[in-house]
Amino acid sequence: MKRYGSFTAVDGISLRVRVGEFFGFLGPNGAGKTTSINAIVGLARTSGGAIRIFGHDNRTQWRQARRLIGLSPQEYNFDRYLSLRDVLIFAAGYYGLHGKAIAERADMLLERFGLSAHAHLEYTKISGGQKRRLSLARALIHQPSLLILDEPTAGVDVELRLELWEWLRKLNADGLTVFLTTHYLEEAEQLCRRIAIVRDGRIVTEKPTEELVADGASLQDVFLELTRS
Amino acid sequence: MLGNPFGLWTLVKREMIRSLKIINQVIWPPIITTLLYVFVFGLALGSRIPNVQGVSYAQFLIPGLIMLQVIDSSYGECSSSLFQGRFMNSIQELLIAPMSALEIVAGYVLGSLARSFLIAGLITGLGIVLVHIAPSDWPLYVSVIAMVSVLFSALGLIFGLVADKFDHIAILTTFIITPLTFVGGVFTSATMLPPALRSLELFNPIFYTIDAFRRSYTGESYLDPAFSLGMIALLAAIALATILRMTAIGYKLRT
Repeated sequence: MKRYGSFTAVDGISLRVRVGEFFGFLGPNGAGKTTSINAIVGLARTSGGAIRIFGHDNRTQWRQARRLIGLSPQEYNFDRYLSLRDVLIFAAGYYGLHGKAIAERADMLLERFGLSAHAHLEYTKISGGQKRRLSLARALIHQPSLLILDEPTAGVDVELRLELWEWLRKLNADGLTVFLTTHYLEEAEQLCRRIAIVRDGRIVTEKPTEELVADGASLQDVFLELTRS
Repeated sequence: MLGNPFGLWTLVKREMIRSLKIINQVIWPPIITTLLYVFVFGLALGSRIPNVQGVSYAQFLIPGLIMLQVIDSSYGECSSSLFQGRFMNSIQELLIAPMSALEIVAGYVLGSLARSFLIAGLITGLGIVLVHIAPSDWPLYVSVIAMVSVLFSALGLIFGLVADKFDHIAILTTFIITPLTFVGGVFTSATMLPPALRSLELFNPIFYTIDAFRRSYTGESYLDPAFSLGMIALLAAIALATILRMTAIGYKLRT
């Protein structure tokens, strides 16, 4: 639960994401998606309830919990004084990781996300699509077990969106648990095995994707029906 | 709790890189300002002033000018870096990482300490070359710089958190730190002041810093340096405890 004064942003959301799952967390603007993510990663203090990351309470065992999470936030928040390569190396450093293995992993991620040619540029010199890819690379640098993506394809062109989907599928296939919020319902339908839909800070449904879109209804129809005032 | 020392060290490195990236904004200006003070006040006007604390006026100025720049640099480094991190959201990188409030505060403070020692070292070098004066009590020199830098770095972090816009950061420097520094003994010895003003100086915390620091150069001070160091340590402890508490509860950092 998360309250801001008398306003309740998240009201008793209770859900369990299974290990290795690709989980969709959908809802209209202001439904409480980003607040929920902030509570999971520790950017928001909850007003009640508990959050466990692979069994670690994110309040009492916050170090263990945070080491397991990689976050690609909705808005870019890179360090403006660092090159792309250093963005990754310093991010790993904040997790206590360093050395040759991290430098190699940073180079591997830059290569994998097509950013090697820009490794020594500052992030202000690269395009929006490249920033999205950098955000994903940074979220993965410390080898998290849970990847949280807050609208990872917002503002990117169709080609890059499809490319990102492919990468996300591969990461999930490799065993990474993915928690995705997006406004692109076809994205959630394509990628997620299970979906929760929130409205006014409450979960209105949580089902496997194929059950949600059974009977020929599209995810968009279901979403609109459940979230329309 | 220091459970992630490499995370702390990464933040220190990040702060040092930031200082070097904006070198024309944070390293050269204090050096050039000091040069101007030495030439105008020390060498030009100072030749008309008799010896102070057993040294020429230009030599007397050097420790005060070092303190002036250490105070300014420590406060500016921490307040602007933290505020910028909040403004650009890049601070979220630290907040989601497994770093405690102590590690975050220590990272900023140690980064600021490194910058302070760099600036102090450069001005000390200028003092040796231009007016032929060097510290005679190095342990006191290092202790005062370190304690003053910690005090003003912690104050900078407090204001970097409290501020809602860049303008707010300047309030403390414009209305409190700069006036208190200028009347705190950068340009004058306490013995030059009338007795009434001399007593008032005891209410100026910056007076303690300059008085103790000047002793590391001239061997003379108005107050017992142990008392001055105790005052600075007390203020630094209060400021550090305040910013640690603010960071731990996530004041203006976590919603």
